[in-house]
Formats: sequence, C-alpha cells, structure tokens
Amino acid sequence: MIADEATLARLMVAGQKGDKSAYNVLLSEAGLWLERYFRRRVPPHQLDDLVQDVMLALHNKRATYDPERPFLPWLAAIARYRWVDHLRKVYKHESDLLGDNDAVEDSHEEAIAARVSLERLFVQLPKKQAEVIELVKISGHSVREAARRTGQSESLVKVNIHRGLKKLSALVEKAE
Amino acid sequence: MKSAREDMIASLAEGLEPVRAFNSRDGMGLLAIAAALTFAGVLMIKGFWVGILTGEASAFFWITNGLLALLGLASAGAVIAMASPRVGNRFDAPVWLSAMMVVLPIGALLSSIPQQHGLGAIVNDIDGVHCLSHSLLSSVLIGAALTAWLRRGATVSPNAAGWFAGIAAGSLGTLVYGMSCSVVSITHLGIWHIAAVVISAILGRIIVPHLVRW
Repeated sequence: MIADEATLARLMVAGQKGDKSAYNVLLSEAGLWLERYFRRRVPPHQLDDLVQDVMLALHNKRATYDPERPFLPWLAAIARYRWVDHLRKVYKHESDLLGDNDAVEDSHEEAIAARVSLERLFVQLPKKQAEVIELVKISGHSVREAARRTGQSESLVKVNIHRGLKKLSALVEKAE
Repeated sequence: MKSAREDMIASLAEGLEPVRAFNSRDGMGLLAIAAALTFAGVLMIKGFWVGILTGEASAFFWITNGLLALLGLASAGAVIAMASPRVGNRFDAPVWLSAMMVVLPIGALLSSIPQQHGLGAIVNDIDGVHCLSHSLLSSVLIGAALTAWLRRGATVSPNAAGWFAGIAAGSLGTLVYGMSCSVVSITHLGIWHIAAVVISAILGRIIVPHLVRW
C-alpha cells in the first residue's frame, strides 16, 4: 500500500530539511507510486530504469517542491517530463509487448492517480498520433510494422510520432 | 532490479543535504532587483522624462505602458511558477494579454493609413529604431534573471517558458525604458515599443529552452 498524498507531502518537507530516514521512506514510496504510474506506458524491462531516472530527478530537483502545494501533482509533472524524454530516446525496434493483466489495481488514491495520469496526455492526441506512438515507442514495434497495422505510410508514421511527441511535451503540465 | 533501486535510495538518503524549498516570493524578489537595476541604468544613461510628472504624457503613453506592465507581470509570474512544476498548471493570462497587445500596433497602423505619408512616417521614425534597440537592451538583465530562476528550478515546459520569459523581459524592459522616452504618439508606441516585445519573445523562444532543459 502506497502512502497517501498528505503523508508523502509531509515526508518530502522533512526530506527538504535533511531528515534522512523520512527521505528514505519517501523515495521508497515514490518508487512504488512511479512503478504503478508507468506500468502500462513503458515496456516492463525499461520500467525500473525510468523509475530510477525519475527518482534521481526528484532528488536533484527536490528544492523545487513548494511545501504549500500538493506533492503528487509535482511528482507527476516530473514523471511525465522524464517519460516523454524517455519516449524520444527509446530504441525503435524493441519488440516487448505489454501484457493486459497489469492494470492499476486496488489503488486507494485512484482519483489523484487518474487526475495526473499519463492517459490524460494520450487522450489529447489525435488518434493517428496516439496509435503510432503506442505501437512504436511503447510496444516496441518497428515503423514498418506500425505502418502495416495502422494503414499509414512509413513516412507518415514517423511524422505522426514526431508531432505526437511534440504535443505530449507541450501538454506535460497543462493536461489535467 | 529492486536491489539496485534500494541501493540508489540508500545512497541518495545517506548523502541528503537540507535544501531551501522554492518560494515564488524569491523569484519575484529576483525579478524586482533586475527591474530596479535596469531602471537605475536607464536613469543614469538616458534620464527620466519629466513630462510624465508634468502631464505631457498622452493617454496612449499610459495605456501602452499600463498594458506592458500587466503583460510583463503576468508573464513573469508564469515563468516564476513554471520553475516549480505541477500537473494542472495553466498559464492563460499572459496568452490573453499578449493577444490584447496586438490591438496597439493594429490601432497605430489603422490611424496612420488614412494620413498622407502615414506609413512612411512610421518606417522613417528614427526615434523608433532607437527605442527598439534600447528597449531590447533594457530587457537583457530581466531576461537573464528569469532564465537563471528557471535554471535553478525544474521547468517541464521549456518552450512555453521560453516564450513567457521573452515576453516578460521584453514587456518589462520596454516599460522601464519607456520612462525615458518622450515620444508619445500611438504610432511610435504601438509599433516600435511593441516590436521590442515581439522580438524579445522570439529570442526567448529560441534561446531560453536550450538553457533550461534538464
């Protein structure tokens, strides 16, 4: 069970003041939260790398958390930013497919998770851009395979990925 | 995999140092210092136009500079908030205020077209080029302060931050420089003073994102 918003915020404030044990707990809890947050949007073998990348960003940018604001929307903004960055870098021909059995379960903070989720970004994209990003950048299919599956030409797949990632990048903070 | 993460957590927690939490008041303070230094520089180099105090300033002077102040503060506020990211942040005020500013050059053009040599007078306005270049110079320190603030922070919208930083620097720089400018016609203010904001916004969009990505 992952700690709630108020607990995480309290731990973060303690961490900013240098409380090592509180910070240790915070990072562990944030790691679990991020793991769940990214689960359906990153191939399983890349999940831990991305979670660690965000945790490192959390650490390096911990001063930017404003104690007067909620913690999870701050963490989610950083997570989204690193995720879009990760999608840009990810190897195009990865072939790992995501399973359908790893949906978020028994979350006690589903409302917050839903509000800041990655799905909220995806629904803002035109369908053609979202589906090729899903196929190539998340499920790891080749551009050719994505073109075959979607009926788009290969060059259009590339253009739609580029445009989609650009739009995702612009939506990191804005999309609720 | 889990143990690698646990090792990382232990290592980060072990080396933890206290940090001062971000506060938007610090950002506003930095902005105020940059604006005050710019104003002091303008006073020393160009002097203060006393017509502002003696009632010689036209309505256009007050309208243009009032709008520049609003746009500058709204954009700077957005930049300062962007240093501390948050899902759900929206920065609509500077966007709408920017749209509102378009009224000024349009008004200047519409009022000059019916006049003989109206457009020529705008283009050949030597004071205009002077004001444009000096307004841009006056924007540099404010732009640098906002960029420094963003670099300390963690903006997750570098492109938008670049636009807003450019708009804020251009608006406030032009506003501060405008305190020394005695040309108060709508054509001069609406074209040349606003052109400085537009150029600064474009420069901000081009330069700032490269400096604030992390």
